[in-house]
Amino acid sequence: MTEQKTQHEHIVQPEMQLDARAVKLNIFSKFLHTLGIYGIAGLFVIFGIVLQVFGVINGFLSVQNMLNIVDAVALLGIVAVGMAFVTYSGHYADLSAPTTMALTGIVCVQMLRYGFLPAILISLAVGISVGLLNAVAIGKFKANPIIWTLAVSYVTLGVIRLVWVNKQIYPDVMASSQRASDLFDAIYRLRFFGKIALPVIILIILIIIYTLLMTRTQFGAQLKITGAARKAAKFSGINVERIIGAAFLVSAVSAAIGGLVVTSLSRVGAWYNGAGYDFRAVTAIVIGGMTLAGGRGSIIGVVGGVLIIGLMNNIMTLLGIGTFSQDMIRGAIFIIVVGVSAKSLRSLGRDDA
Amino acid sequence: MRKLQIKDKQQLISTIDKNRIFILFGVIFLFMALFAPRFMNVFNLTTIMRTMSLNATVAIGFTLILVIGQLDLSIGTIITFAAVVGLGLKESVGFGLSVPLAVAAGGVVGLINGILVAKAKINSFIVTLGMMTVLQGTIYTITGGNSISLSTPDAFAISDWLAEMFFPLLTPRVLITIILVILASFGMRRTRIGRNFYMVGGNSQTAWLAGIDTDRYTIAAFVISGLTAAVGGILFAMESAAATLNMGNSSLMYVISATIIGGTSMAGGKGGVFKTFVAVLTLEVLYNGIILFGLGNEVKIFLAGVILAAVILYEAYTSYRREKVLGQRPELMKELERDREAAAASSS
Repeated sequence: MTEQKTQHEHIVQPEMQLDARAVKLNIFSKFLHTLGIYGIAGLFVIFGIVLQVFGVINGFLSVQNMLNIVDAVALLGIVAVGMAFVTYSGHYADLSAPTTMALTGIVCVQMLRYGFLPAILISLAVGISVGLLNAVAIGKFKANPIIWTLAVSYVTLGVIRLVWVNKQIYPDVMASSQRASDLFDAIYRLRFFGKIALPVIILIILIIIYTLLMTRTQFGAQLKITGAARKAAKFSGINVERIIGAAFLVSAVSAAIGGLVVTSLSRVGAWYNGAGYDFRAVTAIVIGGMTLAGGRGSIIGVVGGVLIIGLMNNIMTLLGIGTFSQDMIRGAIFIIVVGVSAKSLRSLGRDDA
Repeated sequence: MRKLQIKDKQQLISTIDKNRIFILFGVIFLFMALFAPRFMNVFNLTTIMRTMSLNATVAIGFTLILVIGQLDLSIGTIITFAAVVGLGLKESVGFGLSVPLAVAAGGVVGLINGILVAKAKINSFIVTLGMMTVLQGTIYTITGGNSISLSTPDAFAISDWLAEMFFPLLTPRVLITIILVILASFGMRRTRIGRNFYMVGGNSQTAWLAGIDTDRYTIAAFVISGLTAAVGGILFAMESAAATLNMGNSSLMYVISATIIGGTSMAGGKGGVFKTFVAVLTLEVLYNGIILFGLGNEVKIFLAGVILAAVILYEAYTSYRREKVLGQRPELMKELERDREAAAASSS
């Protein structure tokens, strides 16, 4: 994909600066630019409240429903905040995330015979080693991220299906003790205060860690420069190979955790666990204001993108729109939001894509 | 005989590199012909041609998309969309009108993609990803979630005609695919418009400065991609007289792999339709052989992944090497080495 350079790099005279900067943004893009993705999330909430006030839908504005929304997207959030590092580094997406999830899950179920904790540790290690493959090929040899991760996902899928011969394995059968199986089930089902699910807690912890990682550490700063301008980063002495590799590792860590959650949710280790989470995560990331050009956006924004998807699904389900029509609306909103934000970035003279 | 100079050696390597897909095809075909049971007979080879037909047709447009340096993730759903439109309207208007409508539907989807990419300047990854979701929803909405199958005599007649082997290896559907491949290949290589696609993909700024309307070429590429996907989809559906709602889903990954293995680069400006066609054939021969060996789907997926990974890694590694030795002149390096050795010898 060629990088499209902005075609209006006119030199601005200092005294003309005020005039030249007075870029005309339409209301929607201005709104999006100032409030960010949470503005849209707020709009959706207001929309939901209005619908409820007029009696079109019931039960939108309740604590339980809000918790349901968060519950429903926690898994997507776990995967998306990790993959955001890949997008941030200017490498589009990690398409190997779904099979990484499946591999982690199935290995964990298989290893439950050695107890709960060893199973978790081994499977996380296996999941992360997939990320290591990505890190070497893309970081070191600059393989194209999309097709390389695609190839890796093929290979991982092939490995899963070769080793387990298309079988599904069940945690309660594989586990050595009832306790291990119960603990594994609890990954998705454990609730704090009777309400907040463990995946949500995991997501919140990940958000905090990743936000700190992205904004407060040397790695984060270097990742931003690498994503925005790889060559400049390289010539300023940053080890870009290691930085990009690390971004893919973070993504793999997230996918591995997500794999444990999704396997616990479905109570079965199988090759199809996690299918579709690659494109769903990209949707959330890009709606959340992270541009594919790299180096722009934040974890909090990505979480906003995830929440938007959750809110959208919730309102559409409450309205009684069918699952399939929801797809159409979701896709259209995706293109519109990204198009508008790209346009406003471009008219502000910043890079988009 | 002249001694092989460094330049000749490099030329030889680059020739091999350029034509590696033909070598890969030859090796795999030879292996299967020698070892796979019941491989070398007309019926099996015709089966290969028939299975390859769908993806080979779709890959024509996809190669064009990669050549101009974009990406089209919506081809899989366009296949299904065209099939659903073509077969769904057959009851009311007959194939005479429904097939052109189906193809046109693919073209319109491509047009929307192209306009969003070229005029609204949204990244093609995002546009086509969104379009994929939208089309998925559309397909399920207009069919109500049920797959369409035709059981009228005339539908079966067309289905039989499309699958009939009128010449060794050739059925009408395969023939259409091959004609399309030849036309596209010729057009890309020999016409000015075709060459301009390469120029737009190689460097769109230069192309723009050279007076090429890059936007128009981008839109054209997406339209052609939509059209070929639709043609492939509707022909496949007509031959099987049925349209399932996920029939195109596996094609996306297949076509991407084949195009990349065929030597078309994601960066744009490189590759060709014919090589992609050979790559599709290669994968199909491989898959067919695996089935003949009695191995399952899982081996197929694994091997496809390994081959794709090897090709990407090889390509990435060569460009990595090239970057490392960029500006180095081997003969000077050798001289330096010799001097160093001489110095070491004299000091010791």
